Amino acid sequence: MAEIKVQKDVKSLNKEIAEKNRAEFKKHNIFVMNIMGSPGSGKTTLLENILPVLAKSYRTAVIEGDLATQNDAERIRKTGVEAFQINTNGGCHLNAKQIEAEYAKIDPDHTDLIIIENVGNLVCPIEWDLGEDLRVVLLSAPEGEDKPLKYPPAMLKTDAVVITKADIASFADVNIEQMKKNILSVNPKAVVLEAGKVNGVYSAESVIDYIKEKIKAKKAE
Amino acid sequence: MHETALMQNMLAIVDKVIEGQQVKKVNSITLSVGKLSNALPDALTFAFEALTADTPLKGCKLILKELPAVAVCEACGADTILNDFPFSCPKCGGKFYTIVQGEDIYIESIDCELE
Repeated sequence: MAEIKVQKDVKSLNKEIAEKNRAEFKKHNIFVMNIMGSPGSGKTTLLENILPVLAKSYRTAVIEGDLATQNDAERIRKTGVEAFQINTNGGCHLNAKQIEAEYAKIDPDHTDLIIIENVGNLVCPIEWDLGEDLRVVLLSAPEGEDKPLKYPPAMLKTDAVVITKADIASFADVNIEQMKKNILSVNPKAVVLEAGKVNGVYSAESVIDYIKEKIKAKKAE
Repeated sequence: MHETALMQNMLAIVDKVIEGQQVKKVNSITLSVGKLSNALPDALTFAFEALTADTPLKGCKLILKELPAVAVCEACGADTILNDFPFSCPKCGGKFYTIVQGEDIYIESIDCELE
């Protein structure tokens, strides 16, 4: 009998491709953002609202991940932004290889910003590095204020958490202030933002400002 | 449920490691599963058995060891086992921390019989 010592991260093959993606994005000065969150947390709706503003300043492309359908890519294209749909056929997350393949369809010399909307799921997408610069997790108010405590890795392995649908929190008996406290109790370094309807009008100003600030900081590196 | 993808990735690494080593039979593979790795041990075992059923690895054992999460306090540098939240450094009460262990899954070793 022989024992072969390995000491290797199970996801190291994905990590290698993610690092390759990251180097490629850097070479072409492209900022890449990975949006994650449960199904129905409002990821596509957030994109529909921030893309018209972001596309004025940055040449933007969106990569959509879903188990099935072209629905989300079609919704994004209506904003005038180019969108590429990945269907994972049951896969619960996107991986770096899928992003590498979609990136090959994007003209890197005419792109400043790529936004990836991951498969709706608060567990699996968190674990797979895609080569992104920024990670944002959406948490909708009706999911409940205790979710940050129940899904700690989703709060830990992200830069920012955006609370959505706060306007219906009172109907779902959810305490938004407690939800914020719970996010920060798991990850005191997380940036906590809000997006959603205020008096019937969707607003995502703080999210747009945050993304712009991050893009600026990367360009200054 | 990304355990199947994790096991597919692990098997690809195992193949690479044993390639060219004249391995006759793999008896067991030992993994360290981080407490914050978002993977369920039962689901890992189930996926492993399903993926290896019709392969030369059929019957190989998957040994899972739990790896605790370890946090380092950013104020004083003390390390602590992270069991729950919020984090509070037992030495100085610091609130900010960096996780240095327990977020990933590692292949520790492969136990095999050589030709």
